[in-house]
Amino acid sequence: MEILDERIGDTCVITAKGRLDGGASTAFAEKVGALITNESPKLLVDFAGVDFVSSAGLRAVLVLFKKVKAAGGSFALCAVQEQVREVLDITGFTGMLSIHAARTEAIAAMRG
Amino acid sequence: MTRFQASTLPNADGIAALTDQVIEFLEQHAVDARAVHHTGLVLSEVLTNLATHGGCSDRAAKIAVTIGPDRVTGEIVDSGPPFDPRLAPEPSLDVSLDERPIGGLGLFLVRKLTCTLEYARRNDENCMIFAIRREGNREDNKGH
Repeated sequence: MEILDERIGDTCVITAKGRLDGGASTAFAEKVGALITNESPKLLVDFAGVDFVSSAGLRAVLVLFKKVKAAGGSFALCAVQEQVREVLDITGFTGMLSIHAARTEAIAAMRG
Repeated sequence: MTRFQASTLPNADGIAALTDQVIEFLEQHAVDARAVHHTGLVLSEVLTNLATHGGCSDRAAKIAVTIGPDRVTGEIVDSGPPFDPRLAPEPSLDVSLDERPIGGLGLFLVRKLTCTLEYARRNDENCMIFAIRREGNREDNKGH
């Protein structure tokens, strides 16, 4: 999995590409987790390029979500592909996370 | 009908390679993205569970995937201890973020994403057969 990070305003935007499976999820959680250093961090993960998510990937997302929330921050996903969205719906993640249709909309929402 | 067969050790590399092969096979035969994803996911979850909880990372599992007109059917045969994936406990989804456990979703996804899920113990082997509906042929999440 390819992971790029950039800062747009006060939001850390992660662009992930590839499969978030057992092999990639640990590195994903570690790399993105290392970027959560501020108080009240804002973290957006762009899922447009993520075409596969397994339960290991969901674990990684949940770990990051909990870390951001514990620091008093906000966490969102955007541009989730339809088959991945179904997995998030079934496992109740949709109810816990902010999920935006598009990156620009997500960044605007996180600026508050 | 079109069929793919393979065997793999259920370790991280084997599961990843097998998932790649199955996804490529299904995409080459114009199966819709949803059925491709969910077939790969179910295989990945069952094999991962086999290694993690079945203690079988050193014993190859046999996999077959068949493309039918309205569904993709998958079969997994392994020589691990008896295990019926339909009986795994349900995870707690209706809890707050702080109470939400980190794991336990793999087999839940297997049950929810498949339109049929069968299991039998034969000749000291676990035999699991599942089906994923193809686009244009599915009901709303059927689950089990």
